[in-house]
Amino acid sequence: MPVSLTLNGAPLSLNVPDEKPLLWAIREDANLTGTKFGCGIAMCGACTVHVNGEATRTCVLPCSAVAGKEVTTIEGITAKGLNAVQQAWIEMQVPQCGYCQSGFIMAVTALLDKNPNPSDAEVESAITNLCRCGTYPAMRKAIKRAVELKKGGAK
Amino acid sequence: MKTPSTNPKSSLRRRILIGSAWVGGGLAVAASIGGTLAWRRVANAQKYMLPVDNAKGESAFNAWLKIAPDSTVTVAVPRQDMGQGIYTMLAMLVAEELDADWSKVKPEQAPVNPIYGNLTMLVDGAPPAMKSMMGVISKVLGVQATGGSTSTRDAWVPMRAAAASARAMLLMVAATKWSVPVGELTIAKSIITHAKSGKSAPFGEFAKEAAMLPVPPVITPKPQSEWKLLGTSPKRTDVPDKSTGKAQFGIDVRLDGMLYAAVKHIDLVQGELQAVRWKKGAAPKNVMHEVRGPDWFAVIGKSYWEMQQALQDVELVAGGANAVMLSSPQLSNLYERILNGEDEGLKPLAKPLRRTFESKGNALRTIAATDLKQRIEASYSVPFLAHATMEPMNCTAQIAGGKVDVWVGNQAPTIVSWLAASAAGVSSDDVKVHTPYLGGGFGRRADMEVVRQALACAKVTGGKPVQVIWSREEDVKHDAYRPAVACKMSAAFDEAGGLGAWYHRIAGPSVTKAYVKRLNPMLAGDDPPDKTNCEGAADAPYRLAIANFQCDHAQVDLPVPMGYWRSVGHSFNAFFVESFVDEIAHALKKDPYLFRLELLKDVPRFAKVLDAAASAAKWNTPLAPIAGGKVGRGIAIAESFKSIVAQVVDVEVIGGKQIKLRRVVSAVDCGFALDPENVKAQIASAAIYGLTAALKGKITLKESQVEQSNFNDYGLLSLAEAPEFGTVIVNSGEALGGIGEVGLPPVIPALANAIFSASGKRLREMPFVLV
Repeated sequence: MPVSLTLNGAPLSLNVPDEKPLLWAIREDANLTGTKFGCGIAMCGACTVHVNGEATRTCVLPCSAVAGKEVTTIEGITAKGLNAVQQAWIEMQVPQCGYCQSGFIMAVTALLDKNPNPSDAEVESAITNLCRCGTYPAMRKAIKRAVELKKGGAK
Repeated sequence: MKTPSTNPKSSLRRRILIGSAWVGGGLAVAASIGGTLAWRRVANAQKYMLPVDNAKGESAFNAWLKIAPDSTVTVAVPRQDMGQGIYTMLAMLVAEELDADWSKVKPEQAPVNPIYGNLTMLVDGAPPAMKSMMGVISKVLGVQATGGSTSTRDAWVPMRAAAASARAMLLMVAATKWSVPVGELTIAKSIITHAKSGKSAPFGEFAKEAAMLPVPPVITPKPQSEWKLLGTSPKRTDVPDKSTGKAQFGIDVRLDGMLYAAVKHIDLVQGELQAVRWKKGAAPKNVMHEVRGPDWFAVIGKSYWEMQQALQDVELVAGGANAVMLSSPQLSNLYERILNGEDEGLKPLAKPLRRTFESKGNALRTIAATDLKQRIEASYSVPFLAHATMEPMNCTAQIAGGKVDVWVGNQAPTIVSWLAASAAGVSSDDVKVHTPYLGGGFGRRADMEVVRQALACAKVTGGKPVQVIWSREEDVKHDAYRPAVACKMSAAFDEAGGLGAWYHRIAGPSVTKAYVKRLNPMLAGDDPPDKTNCEGAADAPYRLAIANFQCDHAQVDLPVPMGYWRSVGHSFNAFFVESFVDEIAHALKKDPYLFRLELLKDVPRFAKVLDAAASAAKWNTPLAPIAGGKVGRGIAIAESFKSIVAQVVDVEVIGGKQIKLRRVVSAVDCGFALDPENVKAQIASAAIYGLTAALKGKITLKESQVEQSNFNDYGLLSLAEAPEFGTVIVNSGEALGGIGEVGLPPVIPALANAIFSASGKRLREMPFVLV
């Protein structure tokens, strides 16, 4: 049975097996490639999107679990103009290879939407995605910068 | 038909040529950049002009750059961007010499052509006696490859020369058109100005005519004092797309009618696929094609996820003469015996090939003649390691109409083109290699296995493109691994309380031989010395201060796929040498920093970097204590890829077991930091890669099967675990060194030394575990 959901603000009906992970429906059926495949066991976070505003790893999340929900990918965020996290990411020159960065940006965006001024410890416990290039030092600066940008009114 | 003289463009060209403007004419005839080699490469490049987009009115000046009428400069970057920022760096070289407006400089991936061959990489990797010959071979082969931290060093001369010659050609046209001496013209932000007459115009206006001129025989390079861009850190060109999900990686390639393939290898790391058994008797019906390789099996269909599911129903039977069983504890035992001098009875390994890489005085005799109390001895070992790039292995190929297209994040497009031509039976002129961004490289994407698989799959799809993707499990279990290596080291103190003799014996495979064999078994016939075996050990800077010094290697072939892993031999040799030096310092009751300084007194460049790190880290300032734990600080220094890096690591050991990284301070001398912020980013990147290996990295074999499978058992350092970083740059003005790998080698021993300082425990085996 097709799964109906909202993807980046538009209604979408996915005619895929119920158990197909949302990641692969996004990449293969919706043809949006900003959300990445990294591990397939929800450990690296490269596949992070927002489901009803929550940062969610999608490589093991069946499509049936998002029926009727609002799914937002990095493309959906970008379509509204760069958000505070993306602006900070560019300003602090975070990405190296860049592959994991969509997932990080989605995770940090969801964190700051809920907790606009997280402590270092809160950031470290919330952001458990993995980056193989070791961009963590720049990321720490960028998260602090995104907090400032949000205070200044950036979305 | 117009005669040449009435053709205004031709007339301009004639005026310039007849006026012999290149000779004298205001254009300084001075030292060329880097001598004749550069010019030969630029002149050769005129035989291969960068393809232009006629719709944009672009004009190609050589193989490296083209300029549009709106002054947009497109730079062909012949190296691949795997995160190290090489698109930005090489575009900066061109922009500097051209005085181009940085916002209008666009790097793009260069096509495959021998002009772009990486001479530095081949020459760097060759044994000393072969260096000049390798230079010649590499020119003939012209292999385009990214590795060995060579990209900027290799581009330094030809890409600046290419831009400088284009600059001279643009100025010559402007001077001729404005009838002013060329020496009175200046360029700033892509605008040519003649101050005296007040004339000025963007250089794009002259590009079409300028590109028709012959290359000037000699040009004047910009002196460092006039650099505006080099030495600064402009924003990377790839960062916006990598912050919006727009950057395209190999796995993101989407083509009309494209199919997907999922791959499963046999369980053994080396062996043959003997039979394929579908558990339900046949493949699921969504499998359109089945493809069998020598040690792998692939299914092709319309969805990668569906094909990955389908593979759960298949059993691969492995075996064959090629299958040799090896387990990690057994290999440790074999290494131990080899290090003790045994040559026979080492099955499944053959007799080791023993070589001396460096020798002066008589280290062995001196040590043997020294009283036991005045000697020190230690054994060290490291395991196999996977690269674990974040983007799993993938490759897209299409064979149609006698042409082959391959889309793959790769570190050697020339080799991809050879494999594609050979697989499809076409000439390499009919192959097009498309290199998108690499989701991590670290040496992994120099390996070609997935390319072979994609080509094999593309042969059965009737002309449709097919994208092969590996699961993370396939990637962890079937990498071309950093080898497991072991060593024994011994030293003798002299009467003055210094270091009188040093002997180092390393046992391990040749990565280069393993790589070449994996690429083409026909090429792996002989055994030239592989400098990566002993790099950082045979040439350790301390050898100069030690009267008796020897470094030996026992080379064994391992039945395991292996390849280049970030910093290659330095990734283990720095750990061995810098840990052992630390042991000696402690045995002599000397401060580890001051003891190193003593040994480095004849190599001031090293001493300066060591001092810079110690001073930035405030070596003598005690660490803040921690409740329930101990704190420690360690130091190490290593030269790799022509750069010198010293690092100081501060660590916390909590509850006697848990190792927590607090801070890494690095000092780096790469000659001159052309992009200081990127230098710092690369140092931290490589350090985190090394610290990940030090604390978590271990691939083990059980009966030739890899025991790890994914990030749950082959873990990566997380944000919470990453230390604080500080990096200072020492611009010595020496020849340029590499930067992508050099932050890795010393960080591992610096951590081991810090753990010793905190806990009193000397960890000689990676990864580090306190029990």
